[in-house]
Amino acid sequence: MDQRGVEVTFGRILPFWFFVSCETNWPGSWFKNARWFFAIDETFHIMALGMLIGTLVIVDLRLLGLGMRRQSVVQLSRFLGPWTLFGVASMIITGIPLFMSEAIKLSKSTPFFYKMVFLLCAVTLHFTLHRKVTASSASQDSGLAKLAASLSLLCWLGVALAGRAIAFL
Amino acid sequence: MSHLLSFVQWLNDTRISVFLRESDWPFPIIETVHILGLGFSVGTIMWLDLRLLGLAMREAPVVDVIEQLEPWAIGGFAVMFVSGCLLILSEPLKCYNTIAFRIKVVLLILAALNVFYFHKRVMHNVDRWDQNMPWRAKMVGILSLILWLGVVIAGRWTAYF
Repeated sequence: MDQRGVEVTFGRILPFWFFVSCETNWPGSWFKNARWFFAIDETFHIMALGMLIGTLVIVDLRLLGLGMRRQSVVQLSRFLGPWTLFGVASMIITGIPLFMSEAIKLSKSTPFFYKMVFLLCAVTLHFTLHRKVTASSASQDSGLAKLAASLSLLCWLGVALAGRAIAFL
Repeated sequence: MSHLLSFVQWLNDTRISVFLRESDWPFPIIETVHILGLGFSVGTIMWLDLRLLGLAMREAPVVDVIEQLEPWAIGGFAVMFVSGCLLILSEPLKCYNTIAFRIKVVLLILAALNVFYFHKRVMHNVDRWDQNMPWRAKMVGILSLILWLGVVIAGRWTAYF
Protein backbone atom coordinates (compact mmCIF):
# COMPACT_ATOMS: atom_id res chain seq x y z
CA MET A 1 0.00 0.00 0.00
CA ASP A 2 1.39 3.44 -0.90
CA GLN A 3 2.20 5.68 2.02
CA ARG A 4 0.22 8.52 0.50
CA GLY A 5 -2.88 6.39 0.17
CA VAL A 6 -4.15 4.68 -2.94
CA GLU A 7 -2.66 6.38 -6.02
CA VAL A 8 -4.47 6.09 -9.31
CA THR A 9 -2.60 4.21 -11.98
CA PHE A 10 -3.64 2.13 -14.97
CA GLY A 11 -2.10 -0.85 -13.23
CA ARG A 12 -4.96 -0.71 -10.77
CA ILE A 13 -7.53 -0.73 -13.55
CA LEU A 14 -6.16 -3.02 -16.23
CA PRO A 15 -4.76 -6.51 -15.73
CA PHE A 16 -1.02 -6.96 -15.51
CA TRP A 17 -0.87 -9.32 -18.48
CA PHE A 18 -1.99 -6.45 -20.73
CA PHE A 19 1.14 -4.46 -19.95
CA VAL A 20 3.41 -7.48 -20.25
CA SER A 21 1.80 -8.23 -23.60
CA CYS A 22 2.52 -4.65 -24.78
CA GLU A 23 6.19 -4.97 -23.94
CA THR A 24 6.64 -8.41 -25.46
CA ASN A 25 4.80 -7.79 -28.73
CA TRP A 26 5.49 -5.60 -31.72
CA PRO A 27 6.02 -2.65 -31.76
CA GLY A 28 6.58 -2.48 -28.03
CA SER A 29 9.31 -5.11 -28.01
CA TRP A 30 10.95 -3.61 -31.06
CA PHE A 31 11.09 -0.11 -29.60
CA LYS A 32 12.25 -1.41 -26.27
CA ASN A 33 15.27 -3.09 -27.79
CA ALA A 34 16.08 -0.82 -30.72
CA ARG A 35 16.87 2.60 -29.28
CA TRP A 36 17.17 4.07 -32.79
CA PHE A 37 13.48 3.47 -33.54
CA PHE A 38 12.56 4.80 -30.14
CA ALA A 39 14.61 7.97 -30.76
CA ILE A 40 13.20 8.54 -34.25
CA ASP A 41 9.65 7.94 -33.07
CA GLU A 42 10.20 10.29 -30.14
CA THR A 43 11.47 12.94 -32.57
CA PHE A 44 8.27 12.76 -34.61
CA HIS A 45 6.34 12.88 -31.33
CA ILE A 46 8.04 16.16 -30.47
CA MET A 47 7.60 17.62 -33.97
CA ALA A 48 3.88 16.84 -33.78
CA LEU A 49 3.83 18.46 -30.34
CA GLY A 50 5.30 21.70 -31.67
CA MET A 51 2.82 21.85 -34.53
CA LEU A 52 -0.14 20.94 -32.30
CA ILE A 53 0.65 23.64 -29.74
CA GLY A 54 1.06 26.12 -32.60
CA THR A 55 -2.47 25.50 -33.87
CA LEU A 56 -3.89 25.68 -30.35
CA VAL A 57 -2.03 28.88 -29.55
CA ILE A 58 -3.35 30.64 -32.62
CA VAL A 59 -7.00 29.58 -32.30
CA ASP A 60 -7.31 29.74 -28.51
CA LEU A 61 -5.50 33.06 -28.28
CA ARG A 62 -7.92 34.39 -30.90
CA LEU A 63 -10.88 33.15 -28.83
CA LEU A 64 -9.39 35.05 -25.90
CA GLY A 65 -9.22 38.15 -28.08
CA LEU A 66 -5.47 38.00 -28.52
CA GLY A 67 -3.12 37.37 -31.42
CA MET A 68 -4.73 37.23 -34.84
CA ARG A 69 -7.56 39.60 -34.04
CA ARG A 70 -8.02 40.88 -37.56
CA GLN A 71 -9.15 37.46 -38.67
CA SER A 72 -12.38 35.80 -37.59
CA VAL A 73 -12.36 32.73 -35.40
CA VAL A 74 -14.34 30.84 -38.00
CA GLN A 75 -11.70 31.56 -40.62
CA LEU A 76 -8.81 30.51 -38.42
CA SER A 77 -10.38 27.40 -36.96
CA ARG A 78 -11.67 26.24 -40.32
CA PHE A 79 -8.10 26.03 -41.49
CA LEU A 80 -6.27 25.11 -38.30
CA GLY A 81 -8.88 22.80 -36.75
CA PRO A 82 -8.02 19.86 -39.00
CA TRP A 83 -4.35 20.40 -38.27
CA THR A 84 -5.04 20.24 -34.56
CA LEU A 85 -6.64 16.86 -35.10
CA PHE A 86 -3.80 15.77 -37.36
CA GLY A 87 -1.39 16.78 -34.61
CA VAL A 88 -3.31 14.81 -31.99
CA ALA A 89 -3.55 11.78 -34.27
CA SER A 90 0.19 11.98 -34.98
CA MET A 91 0.97 12.15 -31.30
CA ILE A 92 -1.25 9.18 -30.54
CA ILE A 93 0.22 7.13 -33.39
CA THR A 94 3.80 7.94 -32.37
CA GLY A 95 2.82 7.66 -28.71
CA ILE A 96 1.51 4.08 -28.88
CA PRO A 97 4.91 2.45 -29.55
CA LEU A 98 6.43 4.69 -26.86
CA PHE A 99 3.79 3.48 -24.41
CA MET A 100 4.10 -0.16 -25.37
CA SER A 101 7.87 -0.22 -24.99
CA GLU A 102 7.56 0.93 -21.37
CA ALA A 103 4.10 -0.38 -20.57
CA ILE A 104 4.95 -2.01 -17.25
CA LYS A 105 6.66 1.12 -15.93
CA LEU A 106 3.73 3.26 -17.09
CA SER A 107 1.22 0.94 -15.45
CA LYS A 108 2.64 2.15 -12.14
CA SER A 109 2.82 5.81 -13.12
CA THR A 110 0.29 8.21 -11.65
CA PRO A 111 1.34 11.13 -13.90
CA PHE A 112 0.73 8.95 -16.95
CA PHE A 113 -2.79 8.23 -15.76
CA TYR A 114 -3.53 11.92 -15.39
CA LYS A 115 -1.96 12.64 -18.76
CA MET A 116 -4.53 10.32 -20.35
CA VAL A 117 -7.34 11.90 -18.33
CA PHE A 118 -6.30 15.39 -19.49
CA LEU A 119 -5.99 14.12 -23.07
CA LEU A 120 -9.49 12.71 -22.97
CA CYS A 121 -10.82 15.99 -21.57
CA ALA A 122 -8.94 18.03 -24.19
CA VAL A 123 -10.20 15.97 -27.13
CA THR A 124 -13.78 15.85 -25.79
CA LEU A 125 -13.71 19.61 -25.28
CA HIS A 126 -12.43 20.08 -28.82
CA PHE A 127 -15.37 18.20 -30.31
CA THR A 128 -18.02 19.82 -28.12
CA LEU A 129 -17.79 23.29 -26.60
CA HIS A 130 -14.79 24.32 -28.66
CA ARG A 131 -16.47 23.27 -31.89
CA LYS A 132 -19.56 25.23 -30.87
CA VAL A 133 -17.77 28.53 -30.27
CA THR A 134 -15.69 28.29 -33.44
CA ALA A 135 -18.65 27.44 -35.64
CA SER A 136 -20.03 30.92 -36.05
CA SER A 137 -18.77 34.48 -35.76
CA ALA A 138 -21.68 35.31 -33.48
CA SER A 139 -20.11 33.59 -30.51
CA GLN A 140 -16.47 34.38 -31.18
CA ASP A 141 -16.08 37.18 -28.66
CA SER A 142 -18.44 35.83 -26.03
CA GLY A 143 -17.67 34.76 -22.52
CA LEU A 144 -18.35 31.19 -23.60
CA ALA A 145 -15.60 31.47 -26.21
CA LYS A 146 -13.15 32.67 -23.59
CA LEU A 147 -14.17 29.82 -21.31
CA ALA A 148 -13.72 27.26 -24.07
CA ALA A 149 -10.29 28.65 -24.92
CA SER A 150 -9.15 28.75 -21.28
CA LEU A 151 -10.32 25.19 -20.62
CA SER A 152 -8.69 24.03 -23.82
CA LEU A 153 -5.35 25.58 -22.95
CA LEU A 154 -5.55 24.23 -19.40
CA CYS A 155 -6.30 20.69 -20.58
CA TRP A 156 -3.44 20.65 -23.06
CA LEU A 157 -1.13 22.17 -20.46
CA GLY A 158 -2.20 19.35 -18.17
CA VAL A 159 -1.34 16.79 -20.83
CA ALA A 160 2.09 18.33 -21.33
CA LEU A 161 2.95 18.76 -17.64
CA ALA A 162 1.71 15.31 -16.67
CA GLY A 163 3.64 13.90 -19.59
CA ARG A 164 6.84 15.53 -18.37
CA ALA A 165 6.19 14.46 -14.80
CA ILE A 166 6.29 10.80 -15.86
CA ALA A 167 10.04 11.01 -16.12
CA PHE A 168 10.47 12.67 -12.73
CA LEU A 169 7.93 11.10 -10.40
CA MET B 1 39.25 26.01 -29.63
CA SER B 2 41.13 25.47 -26.37
CA HIS B 3 40.06 28.95 -25.16
CA LEU B 4 36.47 27.91 -25.58
CA LEU B 5 37.15 24.65 -23.79
CA SER B 6 38.76 26.39 -20.81
CA PHE B 7 35.79 28.76 -20.63
CA VAL B 8 33.40 25.83 -20.75
CA GLN B 9 35.41 24.04 -18.08
CA TRP B 10 35.35 27.15 -15.89
CA LEU B 11 31.60 27.51 -16.44
CA ASN B 12 31.10 23.89 -15.52
CA ASP B 13 32.78 24.43 -12.16
CA THR B 14 30.83 27.52 -11.12
CA ARG B 15 28.49 27.16 -8.17
CA ILE B 16 25.39 27.99 -10.18
CA SER B 17 26.26 25.33 -12.75
CA VAL B 18 26.78 22.69 -10.08
CA PHE B 19 23.59 23.75 -8.33
CA LEU B 20 21.48 23.45 -11.48
CA ARG B 21 23.01 20.09 -12.28
CA GLU B 22 22.55 18.53 -8.86
CA SER B 23 19.29 20.14 -7.79
CA ASP B 24 16.02 18.25 -7.63
CA TRP B 25 13.48 20.62 -9.12
CA PRO B 26 15.11 23.54 -10.99
CA PHE B 27 16.46 21.45 -13.86
CA PRO B 28 13.19 19.57 -14.60
CA ILE B 29 11.22 22.81 -14.42
CA ILE B 30 13.59 24.66 -16.76
CA GLU B 31 13.60 21.71 -19.15
CA THR B 32 9.79 21.55 -19.11
CA VAL B 33 9.54 25.29 -19.84
CA HIS B 34 11.97 24.81 -22.72
CA ILE B 35 9.98 21.95 -24.23
CA LEU B 36 6.60 23.67 -23.84
CA GLY B 37 8.05 26.94 -25.18
CA LEU B 38 8.65 24.99 -28.37
CA GLY B 39 4.96 25.33 -29.19
CA PHE B 40 4.94 29.10 -28.75
CA SER B 41 8.11 29.63 -30.73
CA VAL B 42 8.52 27.04 -33.47
CA GLY B 43 4.82 26.24 -33.29
CA THR B 44 3.77 29.78 -34.27
CA ILE B 45 6.65 30.60 -36.62
CA MET B 46 5.95 27.51 -38.73
CA TRP B 47 2.46 28.80 -39.53
CA LEU B 48 3.92 32.16 -40.50
CA ASP B 49 6.38 30.36 -42.79
CA LEU B 50 3.59 28.27 -44.29
CA ARG B 51 1.67 31.50 -44.97
CA LEU B 52 4.70 32.86 -46.80
CA LEU B 53 4.67 29.72 -48.91
CA GLY B 54 0.97 30.21 -49.57
CA LEU B 55 0.12 26.91 -47.89
CA ALA B 56 -1.74 28.11 -44.81
CA MET B 57 -4.49 30.63 -43.96
CA ARG B 58 -4.51 32.06 -47.44
CA GLU B 59 -7.54 34.28 -46.80
CA ALA B 60 -5.55 36.20 -44.22
CA PRO B 61 -3.41 39.00 -45.68
CA VAL B 62 0.29 38.26 -45.24
CA VAL B 63 0.84 41.51 -43.39
CA ASP B 64 -1.85 40.47 -40.89
CA VAL B 65 -0.24 37.11 -40.23
CA ILE B 66 3.22 38.61 -39.83
CA GLU B 67 2.20 41.51 -37.61
CA GLN B 68 -0.06 39.48 -35.34
CA LEU B 69 1.95 36.28 -34.96
CA GLU B 70 5.40 37.78 -34.65
CA PRO B 71 5.00 39.24 -31.13
CA TRP B 72 4.02 35.81 -29.85
CA ALA B 73 6.82 34.09 -31.72
CA ILE B 74 9.29 36.62 -30.31
CA GLY B 75 7.98 36.03 -26.80
CA GLY B 76 8.22 32.30 -27.33
CA PHE B 77 11.79 32.53 -28.57
CA ALA B 78 12.74 34.78 -25.65
CA VAL B 79 11.53 32.04 -23.29
CA MET B 80 13.44 29.44 -25.31
CA PHE B 81 16.60 31.53 -25.21
CA VAL B 82 16.53 32.12 -21.45
CA SER B 83 15.60 28.53 -20.58
CA GLY B 84 18.10 27.27 -23.15
CA CYS B 85 20.94 29.31 -21.66
CA LEU B 86 20.07 27.97 -18.22
CA LEU B 87 20.11 24.43 -19.60
CA ILE B 88 23.56 25.02 -21.12
CA LEU B 89 24.68 26.51 -17.83
CA SER B 90 23.64 23.36 -16.01
CA GLU B 91 25.74 21.08 -18.22
CA PRO B 92 28.31 23.14 -20.17
CA LEU B 93 30.82 20.35 -20.70
CA LYS B 94 28.22 17.86 -21.86
CA CYS B 95 26.83 20.39 -24.34
CA TYR B 96 30.34 21.18 -25.58
CA ASN B 97 31.10 17.50 -26.13
CA THR B 98 27.82 16.59 -27.79
CA ILE B 99 27.87 16.70 -31.60
CA ALA B 100 24.10 17.07 -31.86
CA PHE B 101 24.25 20.16 -29.67
CA ARG B 102 26.99 21.77 -31.75
CA ILE B 103 24.87 21.21 -34.84
CA LYS B 104 21.92 22.73 -33.00
CA VAL B 105 23.90 25.90 -32.22
CA VAL B 106 25.01 26.25 -35.85
CA LEU B 107 21.41 25.82 -37.04
CA LEU B 108 20.21 28.36 -34.47
CA ILE B 109 22.69 30.94 -35.74
CA LEU B 110 21.62 30.29 -39.34
CA ALA B 111 17.94 30.56 -38.36
CA ALA B 112 18.59 33.89 -36.62
CA LEU B 113 20.47 35.19 -39.67
CA ASN B 114 17.50 34.15 -41.80
CA VAL B 115 15.20 36.24 -39.61
CA PHE B 116 17.47 39.30 -39.81
CA TYR B 117 17.75 38.91 -43.57
CA PHE B 118 13.96 38.73 -43.82
CA HIS B 119 13.45 41.93 -41.86
CA LYS B 120 16.27 43.95 -43.39
CA ARG B 121 16.21 42.89 -47.02
CA VAL B 122 12.94 41.18 -47.81
CA MET B 123 10.16 42.85 -45.82
CA HIS B 124 9.29 45.74 -48.14
CA ASN B 125 5.87 46.54 -49.62
CA VAL B 126 4.33 43.63 -47.77
CA ASP B 127 0.82 44.81 -48.74
CA ARG B 128 1.56 43.81 -52.32
CA TRP B 129 2.60 40.30 -51.34
CA ASP B 130 -0.99 39.03 -51.41
CA GLN B 131 -1.10 39.51 -55.17
CA ASN B 132 2.45 38.47 -55.81
CA MET B 133 4.65 36.73 -53.22
CA PRO B 134 8.32 37.61 -53.78
CA TRP B 135 10.53 34.57 -54.30
CA ARG B 136 12.82 35.78 -51.52
CA ALA B 137 9.92 35.63 -49.06
CA LYS B 138 9.21 32.06 -50.07
CA MET B 139 12.88 31.21 -49.77
CA VAL B 140 13.00 32.65 -46.26
CA GLY B 141 9.90 30.60 -45.43
CA ILE B 142 11.38 27.32 -46.62
CA LEU B 143 14.73 27.98 -44.94
CA SER B 144 13.00 28.90 -41.72
CA LEU B 145 10.97 25.68 -41.71
CA ILE B 146 13.99 23.51 -42.45
CA LEU B 147 16.29 25.26 -39.97
CA TRP B 148 13.85 25.26 -37.05
CA LEU B 149 12.94 21.65 -37.74
CA GLY B 150 16.65 20.90 -37.65
CA VAL B 151 16.98 22.73 -34.35
CA VAL B 152 14.18 20.67 -32.81
CA ILE B 153 15.59 17.37 -34.08
CA ALA B 154 19.17 18.23 -33.05
CA GLY B 155 17.84 19.31 -29.68
CA ARG B 156 16.15 15.95 -29.11
CA TRP B 157 19.21 14.01 -30.23
CA THR B 158 21.42 15.94 -27.81
CA ALA B 159 20.29 13.39 -25.29
CA TYR B 160 21.71 10.60 -27.42
CA PHE B 161 24.98 11.75 -28.98
